[in-house]
Amino acid sequence: MRQGARLRLVLRDLASGCAFASMAVSGQLPLWTLGLYCVGLVAALAGKRLFARRAKLTALLLLGVAAVLVLNVTSGTLNLVVAACAFAGLISAHRLLSAPDPATDGQVHLSGLLMVAGGAALSGELVYGLFLIAFGVLASLSLALGVVEAAVPEGEPLPVRAVMPPLSVGVGFAVAGAMAFFILFPRLNWNMTGPRAAPGLGPATTGFSNTVRLGGTGTIKGNPRVVLRATLNPDPGGDALGAYWIGRTYDIFDGQEWTSAGGVKRMREPLLTLRPGGDNLVHQRVELLPAYGGQTLIALETPSRLGNAVANSTTGSRRAPLQEMYGGEARFAEPGLSYSYEAYSLPPGGSGDSFRRLPSVEQDALLALPEALDPRVSQTAARILNGEREPLAAAQKLAAWLQREFTYTLELSGDHDDPLADFLFERKAGHCEHFATALTLMLRTQGIRARLATGFFGGERVNDAYILRAGDAHAWTHVLVPERGFVTVDATPPAHRPSQGSKWVQQLLALYEALESRWRNSVVDYSFRDQVDVARALVRPPKGSEKAEQRRLPPPRAWGAALVAGLVVYVAWRAVTRLAGRPRPLDATRFVDAVEAVLASAEVSRRTEETLEELDARLAREHHPLTGALSPVTRRYLEARFGGRPLRQGEARQLLRTLEEAVTQHTRLTARASRAS
Amino acid sequence: MNQPARVLAAAAPSPATAHTTMDRIAAELGRAVQGKEAQARLVTTCVVSGGHLLLEDVPGVGKTTLAEALARSCGLSFARIQFTADLMPADILGAQIFQAQTATFQFRPGPLFRQLVLADELNRAPPRTQSALLEAMAQGQVSLDGTTHALPAPFTVVATQNPVDFSGTYPLPDSQLDRFMVRMSLGHPAPEVEARLLATRGGAPALDAVKTVSSPEEVAQLRALAAEQRLDPAVADYVVRLARATREHGDIERGASTRAVLALGAAARAQSLWEARDFVTPGDVRAVLVPCWAHRVLLRSAVQGVTARDEAAHLLEELVRKVPAPR
Repeated sequence: MRQGARLRLVLRDLASGCAFASMAVSGQLPLWTLGLYCVGLVAALAGKRLFARRAKLTALLLLGVAAVLVLNVTSGTLNLVVAACAFAGLISAHRLLSAPDPATDGQVHLSGLLMVAGGAALSGELVYGLFLIAFGVLASLSLALGVVEAAVPEGEPLPVRAVMPPLSVGVGFAVAGAMAFFILFPRLNWNMTGPRAAPGLGPATTGFSNTVRLGGTGTIKGNPRVVLRATLNPDPGGDALGAYWIGRTYDIFDGQEWTSAGGVKRMREPLLTLRPGGDNLVHQRVELLPAYGGQTLIALETPSRLGNAVANSTTGSRRAPLQEMYGGEARFAEPGLSYSYEAYSLPPGGSGDSFRRLPSVEQDALLALPEALDPRVSQTAARILNGEREPLAAAQKLAAWLQREFTYTLELSGDHDDPLADFLFERKAGHCEHFATALTLMLRTQGIRARLATGFFGGERVNDAYILRAGDAHAWTHVLVPERGFVTVDATPPAHRPSQGSKWVQQLLALYEALESRWRNSVVDYSFRDQVDVARALVRPPKGSEKAEQRRLPPPRAWGAALVAGLVVYVAWRAVTRLAGRPRPLDATRFVDAVEAVLASAEVSRRTEETLEELDARLAREHHPLTGALSPVTRRYLEARFGGRPLRQGEARQLLRTLEEAVTQHTRLTARASRAS
Repeated sequence: MNQPARVLAAAAPSPATAHTTMDRIAAELGRAVQGKEAQARLVTTCVVSGGHLLLEDVPGVGKTTLAEALARSCGLSFARIQFTADLMPADILGAQIFQAQTATFQFRPGPLFRQLVLADELNRAPPRTQSALLEAMAQGQVSLDGTTHALPAPFTVVATQNPVDFSGTYPLPDSQLDRFMVRMSLGHPAPEVEARLLATRGGAPALDAVKTVSSPEEVAQLRALAAEQRLDPAVADYVVRLARATREHGDIERGASTRAVLALGAAARAQSLWEARDFVTPGDVRAVLVPCWAHRVLLRSAVQGVTARDEAAHLLEELVRKVPAPR
């Protein structure tokens, strides 16, 4: 196989790989299809076309695969779109392993296109975009090399080095053109079946279990994966929100772990009203990302109403009913990979729940203490409080003491018989759960009702939304204050409440988040309306400025955009005309340059504006000894340049070698003659 | 009358063999005008390119002999028309004669109806006659009283004019000069040639030595062959750039016309046959540039005749050095 053809096939196979990867990043393809495809791709890249011999027989394998996929779909374990995507990938793998002929190439590229379309339907994440571009570039280069290959006669090597730079430039232009097309050309909005539930790569990182175990496992604080994205109304602005986002509360502590009293309170409601709210509620549109991994709804403290929930799963998106649990937890009634919903929350300052309205199990639990509680806990609390009975003041006093006397650490000490005593009297260091547990129990020993709350603390601004990372998971204390309900008191030192990652990782993540967000806004959710906005923004004066509206002239940025566009067109036009006008360095021209260089070494130089033809004629007239060697070279050059018979591969080198030999001989003879004289 | 020197080859000439035929013709012309090999080749090139020839020379250097030798060597039918002040178009084109027996008019072709016509001292005829001839040259046919009469093929005109003695002449307008593919002058023979002429000829006409080495059919085939020669876009571009250079030159009032560009291409195509090639090189263009264009450019200086030709030739050679040939 010719070298260029090998490169073309590698590019083709890599393009197919990228197309498959664009689907695979959604994480929804069944693992076995992933494995099969990867094996096929590796074999193809290694040049092992395993199915080259028995294409039809091996195609039966595809039938088997199709049957398995159909079974999966009918049994409901696989979405139809995902199954179709997986099948496209396997067809591609089969084609990769078949004998490489033009028909196969076409099928590989076609299946690549199908896979890219599938990838768009499955995820459309930023990583998908990268693979899409890679597919475009690789496939175009491969196709273009195929055209070059068809043009070069059989048996001659492909001028790969010569064609790659112009091809790359062409592909660059094509990509730029595609972007312009994307931005400006009116589109049809195909509402894909949209199993937009990409769990990404890797398992979920948080999640709310029914228990919180002190001294548990994992260093979740350093985990930067985004679990929640929310837009707030009214938008508070600011880069860091620093708010408490509550998931659920716990009220029973057995000395080792926290659990909740009670179970399901209300089943399958489309809208949950946890507590009545006033006028100044904060509206949130929340998206729980697959990395979240739980079924508990998260909302800004203190949630009032939750609803409009949609659960996304591999088999599509649908409205999800909600359940209310004891402990103020709201759950999705059905499992999903990701969710979106809306929530209204009361402004900070208390939940408004009065003690009497709480269910009796919860009322009882708020003062319960584990049986084997270390007596020192109660003594210490009494000593710190020094007679303070007002719940909120007492809680704040204890929290201040905890923040002052204890250090924050993520180095967990493993399981202890009494983790609380270990924290308070031995290690004097722990994480948020230790702090919150200590505060809650110390309050309870003094007869003040309190409970443990878990959720997230923080909120990082990305464009117009706030995000929460897995590392923002947090625990704190709810103190029951008469008239105000539950009030949040946080015993954890403030610096250690939000996510704790290394600084540069944070910066990189912030960059990635910004890119991801821009990708979502500018590509995934880019619509006809956005196109209209782009066009309108260019010509309309900015809203609200009456003076500008009266002028009825386009705003300066329209002029600027027009100027920039004009400049770009001008520069491109100049570049194109210069490129077109520039004489191409033809093979024959390079050849004549080489010939003249050889002649110059024999001190035969061309006069100004004398062509090789005329030089040859002059030498013939002068009976120069080199005429015999030069004439055939000249003739061949003229034929190649003006006669439409280009130099064959290697012919120039051969002619030059003959000429060089003649020149060497000539110089040797003249040297000998001059020595003799 | 001489017999043809050889039986004409049945096979049509190819680029590889055409130059042997052309060499034979040029050799016979060289016999008639000795010591003028370059001019003999140029005349051959002109005939093969299908163009007409303008000889500008003082009397007595062999213009007429050259024309007659050309006719004879190629076996072309020949007529010599002496252009005089009283020559009328009908005298050269022919006329409708009334036939008393049939009571009809019948066309009697004039001396123009030959394959090679020598228009001797063309500038002595009145413009009306000149233009009748020039029209026939351009069209290859004659129209009389609404009837078109085709001239015999290959049709070639060799015109002569005396560039020094202008008394009683009607100088050819530049537009009409443009219709001649090649203009050349023979010039006086070298002294040794003149001496040899004196010694050997002894009054025997030089034409007797010229043999017929070709045929009208072969000339027609050569013309067809020349027209087929490949002209690479780079060479065509070179011709165009040369033309533009003449138009932009400060000393030239009117540069090469489009007809001049076409003529140069045709002449270069014929010229390329000499090298047994089937394509035109910039060298071919350069070889025929001066004879092809020197009479077509109008200089700003008011000189006339030979001096103008020399100066134009000089300017064109300078242009050739300035306009880079394609590589």
